[in-house]
Amino acid sequence: MSDHFSGPRALVDPTADISDVYAFPAPENPQQLILVMDVFGKAGPSAVFSDAVIYRFRIRPVDIIATGPEAAFAPSKSEITFDCTFDVPSGPAGGARPVQHGRCVTPSGRTISFRTDDESGGMDDGVQVFAGQRSDPFFLDVRMIEKTVATGKLSFRPKGSDTLYGTNILAIVIKLEWRKILEGGPLFAVVCETLAAGKRPVRIERVGRPEIKNVSLSWKMFDPVNKDLEIRDLYNSEDAFEVKTDYFDAYRVRMNANLAFYDGLDGKIDWPFDRYGNHPLTKLLLADFLVVDASKRFAETSYFEIERSMLAGRTHATPGGRWLNQDFMDFVFTLYVNGGNGPPINDGIDGPIAWSSKTFPYLAPPNPAKAAAA
Amino acid sequence: MIDVSDLSPPTDWPASGPLMLTDGGVAVLNLQAQIDGLEGHGTSAEAATLIDLLILRGLILGRISDYERAAQLADRLVHHADTDAAAYVARARTRALFHRFTEALDDLDHADRISAQNRASRRERAAILQALGHYHEALVTYEAAADRGAQFERTAALAGFWAERGKTDIAQRFYLQSLSSYRGVSPFPLAQLDFQLGIMWMRHERLNQARTCFEAAIRRVPAYAAAQGHLAEVDADLGEREAAIARLTPLASSSDDPDYAAQLARILGEMGRSEESVAWRRMAASRYDQLIATYPAAFADHAAEFWLGVGNDPQKGLRLAEFNLRGRQTHRAYDLLAQALDANAARAASARCFGAHLDRRAAIQS
Repeated sequence: MSDHFSGPRALVDPTADISDVYAFPAPENPQQLILVMDVFGKAGPSAVFSDAVIYRFRIRPVDIIATGPEAAFAPSKSEITFDCTFDVPSGPAGGARPVQHGRCVTPSGRTISFRTDDESGGMDDGVQVFAGQRSDPFFLDVRMIEKTVATGKLSFRPKGSDTLYGTNILAIVIKLEWRKILEGGPLFAVVCETLAAGKRPVRIERVGRPEIKNVSLSWKMFDPVNKDLEIRDLYNSEDAFEVKTDYFDAYRVRMNANLAFYDGLDGKIDWPFDRYGNHPLTKLLLADFLVVDASKRFAETSYFEIERSMLAGRTHATPGGRWLNQDFMDFVFTLYVNGGNGPPINDGIDGPIAWSSKTFPYLAPPNPAKAAAA
Repeated sequence: MIDVSDLSPPTDWPASGPLMLTDGGVAVLNLQAQIDGLEGHGTSAEAATLIDLLILRGLILGRISDYERAAQLADRLVHHADTDAAAYVARARTRALFHRFTEALDDLDHADRISAQNRASRRERAAILQALGHYHEALVTYEAAADRGAQFERTAALAGFWAERGKTDIAQRFYLQSLSSYRGVSPFPLAQLDFQLGIMWMRHERLNQARTCFEAAIRRVPAYAAAQGHLAEVDADLGEREAAIARLTPLASSSDDPDYAAQLARILGEMGRSEESVAWRRMAASRYDQLIATYPAAFADHAAEFWLGVGNDPQKGLRLAEFNLRGRQTHRAYDLLAQALDANAARAASARCFGAHLDRRAAIQS
């Protein structure tokens, strides 16, 4: 799953388990940038945000410093953050969801207060914030991915079974006037983090790109070095913009091995390793932040378009980033298996139970409790 | 073997952790939300997670029905995923809950045949060996199960191990190490540690320390039934019986675990409120009989304690204590048997005394 249940710690603290991150220009207004952090995959009706977690959005201007096979980004050292925190909720009345109040501290130090599940959210000084339970926009067939990995053969069926069908998450959505709020740009790198609050907050999880920890890093058996290492908790603890050199090779080797496995699924090599023994996507994927061009108009299927353009040595045409309704699993399997040199790969799931809308707060309302079981 | 020489002695008790924890009420809401979200569908990994979550909720809220549901799910999981080591580990966990230790170890053997380097299997095996009183093997297995980077899990397991062995200094040191290595926000692991140390102090009859630990557990998770129940027991032993009754009454009414009703019956009886005591005693007796009929190994020790105490049937208590000892030869099992033998000896002495009295009366009347 995208980043759902991405490691042992995530399972212990579901409120700190980031399931997805999205960044896209507002469909209704190109002056606005939308950032979304989803946590608590498969959240039941009573799920609330933790009062001990800081939900942090980190945004840095980023430059493209190389294209072609050496394609690379260079994030700026300057950074702005939005920190969202939540109170202990007041008790539920008559089976209703508990009422929880939250606040978001903006880069200018202003605090925006809001009540969870209120679709208008809170608003101040060019920033609007929503937090609450919504329908999970991600969709995939986990069993067939597992079967693919277990058998070494693409196992998707024409009509798959959506593992996340009818499930809910807790979402935080921030809409901001990017020219007013952000510095630099228009290319920005976005990372979301959850941190244990305290005198010195400790990072629990970080997410930039989708399916890095699960599809790309979790499988151990192809790794020629660390065959017994659950690498995801370690990976989560890293600063996405300053990955420690001590462990980088462990991530690199794992990523190379797993990408090579996927590349071989169609019986041909579409991604020959470079002269350093690396898969051509490894470096870009381990630059694990979502890169969005805020100056481009909204696009439905723009994830990784900036990076593919960089690899091809051309200028990108879309905002990149990531929109809520993109069929990500079809995209990533096509990318990993044939690099676009073959037919698109379809995982048999073409949409979630409910599509996200193009108006704030974008994600569809939560599904009724029995939708998933049905 | 564990080297504890490099551990600092405790300086502050109970020590507070360095990080904020999620409010206990929020954590219970979210535990419920996790369970609701995973019910009815999902992968085998999710089913194994659901089993763990049900066990956790059973432990925190004192709900035997959660253990029963976890056991049913684990049986089903093994049926549907019989090549998955995690399924066998999950079932071993549920079998161990009901003290079906031999079958649990069989499941772990099976898991190990599927996946030889299974740390979850080792951790579960260590816990079972400890429960069976095979302490040396348990300790070695805990060390073998230690994961790189999982410092908290290792030290917490050892804190619990030494607490059960009654080695208070070592247990406290590991407890402090656990606190300092904890990086999560869930209050459950730390509340469970507090609870284990509370039990340790109770067994040493150091009631004030026990109270401090149980109170710490309850501060972290107010709904922690076992901590509330044991705190009530300590309150009563320290003479604060009304507080104990106030704490136990809602638990005894709502929980399907008869321990709370049994404690309440004992305290009310000691206060001379015999009518109320009898009502709670009947409730506890009925529930213990049900549980013994279904899960004899799991509840033999608690039921024996009940019958030797407020249940007032020492012979039944002795039978259950003997049965319990056959299942596992721990210090506590031997102590319980000794207590049962004493109770029956006392009753025999009393009967002999009463018989002599009857003889004297008959002699006078003749």
